[in-house]
Amino acid sequence: MRVTSLLGPLALALLLAAPFGLPIFAMTLLTELVILGLFAMSLDLMVGYTRLVSFGHAAAYGLGAYASGYILLNSALPLPFAVLAAAILTGMIAIGVGWVCTLATGVSFSMLTLAFAQLLYAVSFKWTSVTGGSDGLAGIPRNPGPLGLEVLSTKNGFYYFALACLVGSFFLCRALVRSPFGAVLRGIRENEAKTLALGYNTRLYKITVVAIAYALGGLAGALYSPFAGFANTELLFWLVSGQVLIMVIVGGSGTLIGPILGATFFLTLEHQLSSYTEAWALFFGLTFIAFVLFAPEGIWGLAKRYLGQRAPEETEQAPAAITKAEAKPHG
Amino acid sequence: MAEPDTIQATSVAQPRPPLIDVEGLTKRYGALVAVDNVFMRVAEGEVRAVIGPNGAGKTTLFHLVTGVVPTTSGTVRFDGETITGLPAHSICQRGLSRTFQLTSLFPEMTARENTMLAAQARHPRHWLPFGGGSVFEHARAAGDTALEQLGLTHVANRPAGLLSHGDQRLLEVAMAMAQEPKVLLLDEPTQGLSVEETAEAVDTLARFLERARVTVLLVEHDMEVVFRLAHKITVLHRGAVIADGSPEAVKADARVQEAYLGGME
Repeated sequence: MRVTSLLGPLALALLLAAPFGLPIFAMTLLTELVILGLFAMSLDLMVGYTRLVSFGHAAAYGLGAYASGYILLNSALPLPFAVLAAAILTGMIAIGVGWVCTLATGVSFSMLTLAFAQLLYAVSFKWTSVTGGSDGLAGIPRNPGPLGLEVLSTKNGFYYFALACLVGSFFLCRALVRSPFGAVLRGIRENEAKTLALGYNTRLYKITVVAIAYALGGLAGALYSPFAGFANTELLFWLVSGQVLIMVIVGGSGTLIGPILGATFFLTLEHQLSSYTEAWALFFGLTFIAFVLFAPEGIWGLAKRYLGQRAPEETEQAPAAITKAEAKPHG
Repeated sequence: MAEPDTIQATSVAQPRPPLIDVEGLTKRYGALVAVDNVFMRVAEGEVRAVIGPNGAGKTTLFHLVTGVVPTTSGTVRFDGETITGLPAHSICQRGLSRTFQLTSLFPEMTARENTMLAAQARHPRHWLPFGGGSVFEHARAAGDTALEQLGLTHVANRPAGLLSHGDQRLLEVAMAMAQEPKVLLLDEPTQGLSVEETAEAVDTLARFLERARVTVLLVEHDMEVVFRLAHKITVLHRGAVIADGSPEAVKADARVQEAYLGGME
């Protein structure tokens, strides 16, 4: 067995045991981490596997957060159903977003995703009756439900619920990227023109992957608002889009695990550095630059290299750093 | 994919209709007429070369047939059906597989993975978002057959980006063949190769074409390559057809000689 193949079960065991050993404030942090990890992983489907670089993934997060917040405030729908409904709603809206954004490619695609997120940001201020305007939605409850679902409303219960969403999404994403569908995504990543010429309707694939990525990003957002108890316009701000993109790249794009590590790294650094200096973002920025320059394969790529994993089946997931120029053999 | 025969069965009395039937195909870019009222028929099993000096419109003609570039006027029929105006991927799905003039591969995938992705496109469940064992199995079988046909089995596990130029060109043909096409469209298959590499690649291609019995439309400006591989030749000059026939007839044609001596490098 390879060393890295034992890491997964080990990490999962630790995450499952965490509530029994960690103090309450640490559990809060860990829950936030699980949510952010899910958010970053969802973006990896686009950035890492399809090379669709989104500058507006906050749109998914914010949409999910507002949707679940609104549902929880205005209905008695139990927490898990509200969260799921918000994720599905986000995914459905993303079909339209994907349809528009995939009219363009490259930087123009990124700019369109950013424009859409900024549009939602503006809407969140103006549509007061639904979003609460600049106050946002406050006091979002974790609606208990019948059938013993009320356990999810407790602090640890909610943590396990978020963890289940993360783990479930991870296996869903992994099945997706290893499927025939995922093989086509890889083709689009490496050479879209050729993929099209082989007879694949690449645009349809791209719209689909945008919808799935937004749905999972929406799931993360939908978990965040009952976790924090509020949803505000900040969640839709472009800064969030930038941060999650950095998590993906620092963690290692095109690996699913990497972005979760990137989110961990980001959150840890934020909490550790911010107790020493107000300029923690500066140091985080420098770390990001260092990664892009010296370790474009990210944390997970580095880890795999040092753990000596180089199995042939893993080379197919060779980190496709988005900073790398299109490698194309000349004819 | 033994479908071509079923069409024949319905029209017993008639001579075999051409597999590709190009009628009055024209492409204008503003004032420039890149392809000018071209008529061409390619019979099943034929290896047809389209030749002409640089800028004669060969590649544009290719783009028109494969739907990469929209036509100005005229029609292309494939297997009796009009395919003009269809999107490129849809034309490809009908059984026209092409290679590119500039090598276009998936450089980080192995040669085998390249052919597998090509073959997968022909599987009815090529979009399956989970599992997919049987899809991959089918793709692998078709891909490996194609690799073998073009003598690439020994480099199957090497990333395509690391292959020699000659092998990269052949891999492109293998990818097209992995799709089990009715027509194989080759856009300058020896472009960018040295003299030795060209000779080697042409040998492989000739051997492969002898056995594969696939209909081929070939664009090429290297005469030696054309005369080695083609059964029939269409000569383009300034977008228009100036000769059409067997290699011997075309070689002897005065207008062809004039076009080449007057216009070529």
